[in-house]
Amino acid sequence: MDALMEPTLYTIKGMCILDNDGNRILAKYYDKNVFPTVKEQRAYEKNLFNKTHRADAEIIMLDGLTCVYKSNVDLFFYVMGSTQENELILLSVLNCLYDTIAMILKKNVEKRAVLENLDIVMLAFDEICDGGIILDADPSSVMKRVDLRNDDIPIGEQTVAQVLQSAKEQLKWSLLK
Amino acid sequence: MSSFKRDNKEEDDGGNPWQNLEKTSVLQETRMFNETPVNARKCTHILTKILYLLNQGEVLGTREATECFFAMTKLFQSKDVVMRRMVYLGIKELSPIADDVIIVTSSLTKDMTGKEDLYRAPAIRALCSITDSTMLQAVERYMKQCIVDRNAPVSSGALVSSLHLASTAGEVVKRWANEAQEALNSDNIMVQYHGLGLLYHIRKADRLALTKLVYKLTHQNLRSPYATCFLIRIACKIMEEEDASGNAIEESPLFNFVECSLRNKSEMVVYEAAHAMVNLKRTKPRELSTAVSILQLFCGSSKATLRFAAVRTMNKVAMLHPPAVNVCNLDLEGLIADSNRSVATLAITTLLKTGAESSVER
Repeated sequence: MDALMEPTLYTIKGMCILDNDGNRILAKYYDKNVFPTVKEQRAYEKNLFNKTHRADAEIIMLDGLTCVYKSNVDLFFYVMGSTQENELILLSVLNCLYDTIAMILKKNVEKRAVLENLDIVMLAFDEICDGGIILDADPSSVMKRVDLRNDDIPIGEQTVAQVLQSAKEQLKWSLLK
Repeated sequence: MSSFKRDNKEEDDGGNPWQNLEKTSVLQETRMFNETPVNARKCTHILTKILYLLNQGEVLGTREATECFFAMTKLFQSKDVVMRRMVYLGIKELSPIADDVIIVTSSLTKDMTGKEDLYRAPAIRALCSITDSTMLQAVERYMKQCIVDRNAPVSSGALVSSLHLASTAGEVVKRWANEAQEALNSDNIMVQYHGLGLLYHIRKADRLALTKLVYKLTHQNLRSPYATCFLIRIACKIMEEEDASGNAIEESPLFNFVECSLRNKSEMVVYEAAHAMVNLKRTKPRELSTAVSILQLFCGSSKATLRFAAVRTMNKVAMLHPPAVNVCNLDLEGLIADSNRSVATLAITTLLKTGAESSVER
């Protein structure tokens, strides 16, 4: 019975990013009962990837979990929850994960860019979900807390073109927010 | 020849800079953490490597983890924001494996009570990952302050951490009900959600207090859709218990609240309410048809997730009350050829329960 399920904030069972061979780029699992060891996680990822990498279908039920997903170029984003869970809540988390990463990478959502900014992507994971509880699902507010990089080259040593470029970027993003 | 060249280039492009990391050599690199002044950029890179290895499933022994953990504590000298955040992540990842992790308590307490908001929220969460019930009493005062902090991430961080701690230090956390109650009035949607979550956890053993809380909140129009979904679930649980004990009130205000939520402006809440009404035993046919007509609207959505959610719930209705779903047969037929296979499968099984064979064949 759905209705008698104990209300809980522990909504997310796992989140992961896989590449287009199904290899794990980053993954977090929050329920020791569902995924006791890395072996089960890997097996699930493999299964999930096989079922989803062709069909761009947004949602799938697999092995007793509801999984919403999204892909771009060479990346697959997944958010998993119990089958009893409100699918739209899971979707809001997936959208937040994807949009945050798209903002961090300045729209180049692809494997190479994720790997180059792995530290920031890890922080984004941490700010979206804490131990299975949704911490924040608003991409711009997550973004504010994770994108803390300051450009390394001091302003005096940048070329005029670089300064213009970064100013343009900043203007663009402040308008988009 | 040209294809060979391209292959080569592709490999360069898709190359994973983290791929060939070796555990022992990465752990050796942590020696760098002892250097003063700290080279934030290099150390962040090494921290990322460690976290990446752990994320890939690499297992560290207790000694390795402890050494790494202690090396990491040296990094508190530097003020680099990204590195500090990575240190917090490292603390959380290593604290279950390493020994004597309480050594960072004072550093974290300092960060959590300091001025820098960017440190405070994640410091609280890291602190709670190394704290046990005895130590929690030492930081209890700070936790209470953080729960009612004006900065939303700080407040959310404290509330969520309290919930995690409630399983091991339930008695201490129970004393924070007043603070959780205050968080419930927050303008921030996540703080409100986490506040309700914690308050429910504290009150759930006390039937009377819980019922009172829920009755009060149903009149209040929570801003947060997440909190509203959660409230619907609590309301349903209370109603089911009332039904089971036999003293159900015909016209329950809780049921009215769920029904009103069908007109909420958030899709998430509307679906939660429809789903709840379908599952409640007390729902009468007239009310059921309202819920079903909402689901029917969702069937035409462009979002696969919404169509999936709707058909899955209809499938459940069809098991108990096939006639209620009959009105949607046409919509369901439209979903048989849905691009999402799960949606199509659910539509077919639902039709098998409600419609005649002819509708599936069509």
